[in-house]
Amino acid sequence: MTAIHKMQSYYPNIMMHLPDNMDNITKKVREEIERGWIGPDKSCPYHPCHFTGQDCTFCYCPFYPCMDEDLGTSIRSKRGSDIWDCSYCLFIHRQEVGKYAMSEIKRMGISDPKDPRIRDILTEAKARFHRKGKTIMVLGATSDAGKSIAVAALCRILHRKGYLVAPFKSQNMSLNSKVTRKGFEIAMIQTLQSKAAGLKNPDQYMNPILLKPKGDAVSQVIVKGEPYGDYNVKDYYGKFVPGPGTEIVRGTVGFLKNRYDVVVMEGAGSPAEINIYNRDIANIGAAKIADAPCLLVVNVEWGGAFAYAVGTINLIPEEDRKRIKGIILNNIRGDVSKIAPGAKEVERILGIPVIGLVPHIELELPQEDSEALRDMKSKGSGNMKISVIRLPRISNFTDIDPLYLEDTTVKFITEPEELAGSGAIIIPGTKNTVEDLMWMKEKGLDKAILEQRGRVPILGICGGYQMMGRSLEDPNGIECGRPGTYEGLGLFDNVTRWGEYKKRTVLDEGVLLKTGGPVTGYEIHMGISEIVEKPLFSIERFTGNETEGSVREKEMLFGTYLHGVLEKPSFRRFFLSFVKGGENILSTSEPRDYDDLVEENLEKLASAFEKSMDVGKLMEILGEEQ
Amino acid sequence: MKVMFLGTSSGAGKTTVAALYCRYLHKKGISVVPFKASNLSNSAFITKDGYEIGMGQAFQAWVSGVEPSNDMNPVLLKPSGNGFIQLIVNGEAQTVSDADPMDRKAVMKKACEAFDRLSYKYDAVVCEGSGSPAELNLLDKDLANTGMMRERRIPAVLVGDIERGGVFAALYGTWLLMPEDVRPLLKGFIINRFRGDPTILGDAVDKIKELTGMEFIGTIPYAYLRFPEEDSLSESGGKLEGPTLIDAFIGNADSLLETAEDYGLDLKKIEDISSS
Repeated sequence: MTAIHKMQSYYPNIMMHLPDNMDNITKKVREEIERGWIGPDKSCPYHPCHFTGQDCTFCYCPFYPCMDEDLGTSIRSKRGSDIWDCSYCLFIHRQEVGKYAMSEIKRMGISDPKDPRIRDILTEAKARFHRKGKTIMVLGATSDAGKSIAVAALCRILHRKGYLVAPFKSQNMSLNSKVTRKGFEIAMIQTLQSKAAGLKNPDQYMNPILLKPKGDAVSQVIVKGEPYGDYNVKDYYGKFVPGPGTEIVRGTVGFLKNRYDVVVMEGAGSPAEINIYNRDIANIGAAKIADAPCLLVVNVEWGGAFAYAVGTINLIPEEDRKRIKGIILNNIRGDVSKIAPGAKEVERILGIPVIGLVPHIELELPQEDSEALRDMKSKGSGNMKISVIRLPRISNFTDIDPLYLEDTTVKFITEPEELAGSGAIIIPGTKNTVEDLMWMKEKGLDKAILEQRGRVPILGICGGYQMMGRSLEDPNGIECGRPGTYEGLGLFDNVTRWGEYKKRTVLDEGVLLKTGGPVTGYEIHMGISEIVEKPLFSIERFTGNETEGSVREKEMLFGTYLHGVLEKPSFRRFFLSFVKGGENILSTSEPRDYDDLVEENLEKLASAFEKSMDVGKLMEILGEEQ
Repeated sequence: MKVMFLGTSSGAGKTTVAALYCRYLHKKGISVVPFKASNLSNSAFITKDGYEIGMGQAFQAWVSGVEPSNDMNPVLLKPSGNGFIQLIVNGEAQTVSDADPMDRKAVMKKACEAFDRLSYKYDAVVCEGSGSPAELNLLDKDLANTGMMRERRIPAVLVGDIERGGVFAALYGTWLLMPEDVRPLLKGFIINRFRGDPTILGDAVDKIKELTGMEFIGTIPYAYLRFPEEDSLSESGGKLEGPTLIDAFIGNADSLLETAEDYGLDLKKIEDISSS
């Protein structure tokens, strides 16, 4: 199957220029009408391409182009014409809608997709099945209270109940981002939550504002998945928030409400930072815009949970306080019942029910930010010793997580002497390749790595891959603020250049050239590399296949721009097979896909929350009486 | 002089702030001694006369220029797993069930006696609380926080950790949940682990002052005060230098004290509170 063919069958409605390809849609719809209702089509290789439990009767929508702004949207194509884009619409894939539409078509004896009565069916289907989504917001008394995890749990709990659910975080500050299928950059955690919601494709509306800290209180602001500009704290709150920020939140949450039954929103930090309360569009500000009831999650582990809960709610101005409908005490270690009397007392003091007493849950899920790495020196106790260079500006550090599926010990190192005894070395991604390369040189880590050349496998991912090249040219100071050319590690002869302020964000799917095994990943980088090495992967593109990465097998050198490259077992196991004794160690266990592990853990998470929460109360807060 | 440092959570920085204040008084030539009525920790220090006390108090004793002694930490609870904890009172160990750890009244008496011995011998007793003083399910069992404050009318300073966010909520919430008879003893608050420009705190500090009547002592910059690990939540790693380990820790405390004072931490205000 060619890439083009695949794209069209996968996303039938994006590419159509009206009326150019309209005939094709008409033809497909005619076939669908002949075939009749089929429900979810598990025989389709792309199933589920939208969400778990979707209706596949109309892979091609009979209502296209509906021109209904609640469902689709008009976009300007590269050729300058307007196209009706319904790639974000899930309406026809709701089982009740697919079933209803088909039964009406059959009842009316319609066989021609151009029959005007189809229009009436849409009108009736909308009246019956389309409604504005409900919203609920999860606030945290602190960072790390467990908001993200609680949102993921709620998404899965509601998804299990048959709701079409979208996660939403208006503003996220994180260096751990991911790319959507359309090439937009959003925070990694929202992609995880969308997976919890049973969605195949997260989109940029789910995290409309992403702040990527660059240092010195300046962040790169990403709006709806695209770079918007750099802001310092003062200008962000002074100019961005009251200006475009508020409208962006309003627009995106409204967009999701039109398309999903429930939008589960996540706050950021504490909602009671009274010094910025009126300029906060991440917490109560967003809840007001979306008219969402709120839950407050408090982490019990550190102590003082009752004080945090009572203080947070009392510092929120009275008119907003009534939005808070429930409290979840999270991460309780030991006997949960011991905390119950305190929880009762909090309910009495605040008049707000404690709807969950959630125990500590051991989970293997990607972590939100690198703070989680701060105290982590090593993880695992397996036979293959993997050293990961702990770059100061490390980004997408969750790239490493799939290694825990194998018999590995992963060490995060900052000193040259720690490299001794490594079975493999990984240089991860960074927010600033040049600065972190300088840091490695200062530390003497460059020399220490070069000493291991040919002895142990070395893998560079993204920024680490750029560092492995011969030189790094930044003539306009785009990467590190001052122009310059820097000598790379010289493990590859590639040259990376930051010619213009341009960011590449793309989702990749392809194969490992050596074995033909599947590989997936995503690229997020500034700087373009001129690759002169033998490629590592072949990536399927809309326009045909492209090669990616570099490999020198004899010297055991591997480099790629693909974040997430270790998630599928093909490349992970290929790389680890170069570790001394690696092949034998790997042969003792079955290869696993990281995605399956994440899925298992999301199930575990949701079940634990379901068990320790008053779900009836949750539904009542949501306005969904059972 | 006496003062109690309370934390809004574990790891808020009580031990650090108490140590800095001890150091400050010691440098002023005031005879000072640390005290923590009860410690829940498996990391213990053995005094010269063979008693086990919490590592934090040993460290605070060094920066106070005194030898660690058992009165500085009369009650030590060492979790021994399976729901049991070892209870050490003035050096005497006994194993008790987690469900009913001790005769609170008897232990409280021992703690007060130790405190009284120290106040008799030294000009200033710098006390440290344990965990959060506002655990609603434990208030009636509290020893180290509101327990001691009530028994000996010890004025207190509340330490909040800004790093995790929600520090204003934590300070205000703790104050709100304090038993009414003890609340007036809360005299001041400190914001610990602060990064960046303090002016961004804006009116929030004034708001907390207005709501609680507590005085603002200042912010402490984000820095690691190194001391032998006291509880499972504290930081570890990094290098210290000095002729002996103790000297290294003292040197580190001196430099943090200097940084904090430059940063606007007003220890004179705590001195006034201690004398009140």
